[in-house]
Amino acid sequence: MLTRGVMTRWSLATRRRWATHIFTVLVIAAWAIGSSGVPSYLFPDPVTVFHRSVEFFLGYKLFSHVVASVTHVLVSLTLAFLLGGALALMAHYVPVTRAMVHGRITPFLNSFSSVGWTLLAILWFGLNTGTVIFAITAIILPVCIINLQAGLESIDAEMAEMGRSFTRNWGRYFRLLVLPAMIPFMFATVRISFGVAWKVALTAELFGGNSGFGFVINLARQSFDSSQIFAVITIIVVIYVITDNLVLAPIQRRLVRHYADD
Amino acid sequence: MTDVVTTSAPHATADGGVRHAFLSRILADGLIAVVIAAWWLMSQRLPAIVLPGPWAVGKALVDLFTDPDSLMHIAATALRVIGSVVFATLIGAFLAGLTYYTPVLQDVILKRIQPFLGAMPSLGWAILGLIWFGVADLTVIFIQTAILIPFCLINFTQGLRELDTEIIEMGHSFTRSKRLIFLKLIVPLMLPYTVAALRLAYGVCWKIALVSELFGAETGVGYVMLQAQILSDATTVIATCLVIVVMFAAGDTFVLRPLSRIVAR
Repeated sequence: MLTRGVMTRWSLATRRRWATHIFTVLVIAAWAIGSSGVPSYLFPDPVTVFHRSVEFFLGYKLFSHVVASVTHVLVSLTLAFLLGGALALMAHYVPVTRAMVHGRITPFLNSFSSVGWTLLAILWFGLNTGTVIFAITAIILPVCIINLQAGLESIDAEMAEMGRSFTRNWGRYFRLLVLPAMIPFMFATVRISFGVAWKVALTAELFGGNSGFGFVINLARQSFDSSQIFAVITIIVVIYVITDNLVLAPIQRRLVRHYADD
Repeated sequence: MTDVVTTSAPHATADGGVRHAFLSRILADGLIAVVIAAWWLMSQRLPAIVLPGPWAVGKALVDLFTDPDSLMHIAATALRVIGSVVFATLIGAFLAGLTYYTPVLQDVILKRIQPFLGAMPSLGWAILGLIWFGVADLTVIFIQTAILIPFCLINFTQGLRELDTEIIEMGHSFTRSKRLIFLKLIVPLMLPYTVAALRLAYGVCWKIALVSELFGAETGVGYVMLQAQILSDATTVIATCLVIVVMFAAGDTFVLRPLSRIVAR
């Protein structure tokens, strides 16, 4: 009777929040219980995995792999953004090239598999950083082209015309009108590409790299070190969730609010 | 005078349009010709293990589609892709349905399960699948389904969010049966999103099929590709990539796109 009264007084939002926390606790509890009965090779327990994850940030040797993966992702992101931006701009401002970029280059890149790029890059460049960066860049390039194209297309035609009637200077027009209008889209591009790159880096590094998380997983796999594999996966997921929810999403919300108002 | 202007203006644009269309076609298809020519030229100077020529790759591609043994591998991949897409769509629809019918669980699904599945790298699933289930067909299906669920879930929750509440309200005024409302209103309204989810999942699945097959399978296109990679057989590696492109394009053009056109009507 009493609990029912409490239940109805609680708003749906509160109950939702509690349900979410209870779910989180239940999952970790299930993990702990489930892992206690089976060999740690199949299912390492959460405490071990937590310790192994923290180790990555304490020792120089393991931390260097964290740095390597982050570097791979950032360099590829920059390359793909610049290249994708150049292609999207060309397709937008030189209309005859539109069919070439959006009808040929993008669909082709988009349907090519990440493993395909990685294995080809290994044959071309060998096992090294260049291979990893090439593979990641090739995979996120179509993502960049598609998102930046959407941004360019969103620029109001009348506004563009007004801009051109004020100045004939292309640099000024681009800097004062196109660039500000593109900022939310550029940021969205970075956010989506980061997510894809961060996850796919693992594949590229596992097959084609000599450093980074994927490389660590490959070694762990060969020595059946499951807790190391779980630790890497945990770090990847945690870093992704933190960067996306606590850094990128708030900035994007602010940008959208700022640029949508005027 | 005005007559001349009005009749000649569309002519001029139509003429320009034709020229524009022609030119852009030349550029688009010209690019393919240039790429193939450059590829051929480069392959003349480089050893075949680095860059095989387009002719050799084309021949290998035809061989892959005609040799019964490799056809079996392609069929294995295709069947697993279809199975995973169906499973992922069903599970995604189920989870999205939970957020709709049990609002208490909304955050559990949208703020825990969805972000977790979205953040999980496909390689992570591939390795976990291998550790837990060993090398088997079901392992590959498990890996692919796990990777595809977040894509399907997003599509379905988007669809439910855009569901017209007035139509549902109208439904409620006609019947009290939740089952009837579900079958007669929600299912038909969700059909376009279901097809969109299928299409997206199908496209993603062909691309990640290689990752999931590299560890967990002894059949399939990914297996063929890995064997070729071990033997430094670049011709087959490129050809298997193209098999993926061909199979994806075929399924999308001949099945999914017509399906989405039917549903849109």
